[in-house]
Amino acid sequence: MAAAGSGTPLEEEGPSGEAAAPQPQAPTSAPGARLSRLPLARVKALVKADPDVTLAGQEAIFILARAAELFVETIAKDAYCCAQQGKRKTLQRRDLDNAIEAVDEFAFLEGTLD
Amino acid sequence: MASSSGNDDDLTIPRAAINKMIKETLPNVRVANDARELVVNCCTEFIHLISSEANEICNKSEKKTISPEHVIQALESLGFGSYISEVKEVLQECKTVALKRRKASSRLENLGIPEEELLRQQQELFAKARQQQAELAQQEWLQMQQAAQQAQLAATASASNQAGSSQDEEDDDD
Repeated sequence: MAAAGSGTPLEEEGPSGEAAAPQPQAPTSAPGARLSRLPLARVKALVKADPDVTLAGQEAIFILARAAELFVETIAKDAYCCAQQGKRKTLQRRDLDNAIEAVDEFAFLEGTLD
Repeated sequence: MASSSGNDDDLTIPRAAINKMIKETLPNVRVANDARELVVNCCTEFIHLISSEANEICNKSEKKTISPEHVIQALESLGFGSYISEVKEVLQECKTVALKRRKASSRLENLGIPEEELLRQQQELFAKARQQQAELAQQEWLQMQQAAQQAQLAATASASNQAGSSQDEEDDDD
């Protein structure tokens, strides 16, 4: 006796639009609220990619990630200044080039400009 | 999104993370795609630079593991000393969180029951529960058997009664 229309399996009674079960949030590997916007696993992988590096402690990775974040902020702001000087509102690659050349500490980046 | 083709040298910081940082640093500013790409690469290079320097400092310090102190020294020696105060805040937060975690786990231990003991108790409870269930199942089975036997007896009894009464009738008739 097939019951027409009465959907017994729960899936059919499923929610109309929203997901019934909330997506479980991926647990942050970083302790604390938010230590860095950079994925720590990736930072660690980058550090370990150096054949000379044997071991790096977790805290060292955290602060390296934070330093990289600060670096990005700095270089972005510097580049924006260049764009403003050129009276542009869009940040172009050449603004970054200029920012890199203008700062001594960024000399290590000259290899990446190619 | 880990790539299975493991060429470590192609690793970079994910674009999305960089985009987010750029957006937060320069809200309402348009950024060309190739500029973003360059930032990704620069960030990667920065990490290599600092970690390499930190590694050298670590080697000189007779320690085997790169410590936060090594990273801080690397930042200083490479001209990024201005990052140090903010970076130290991260370190502080790490220690606070680690402390909280240690307190939490020691509170558990203070119940007086170490984890192994808890496991053992759990196994005991499971075994007990299994046993109870088995006994219950057995009881039900016995009851069913008894009920079935009784039903059988009742059936035979009534059958023989009927047979008996019909015989009487026959006798009477004779």
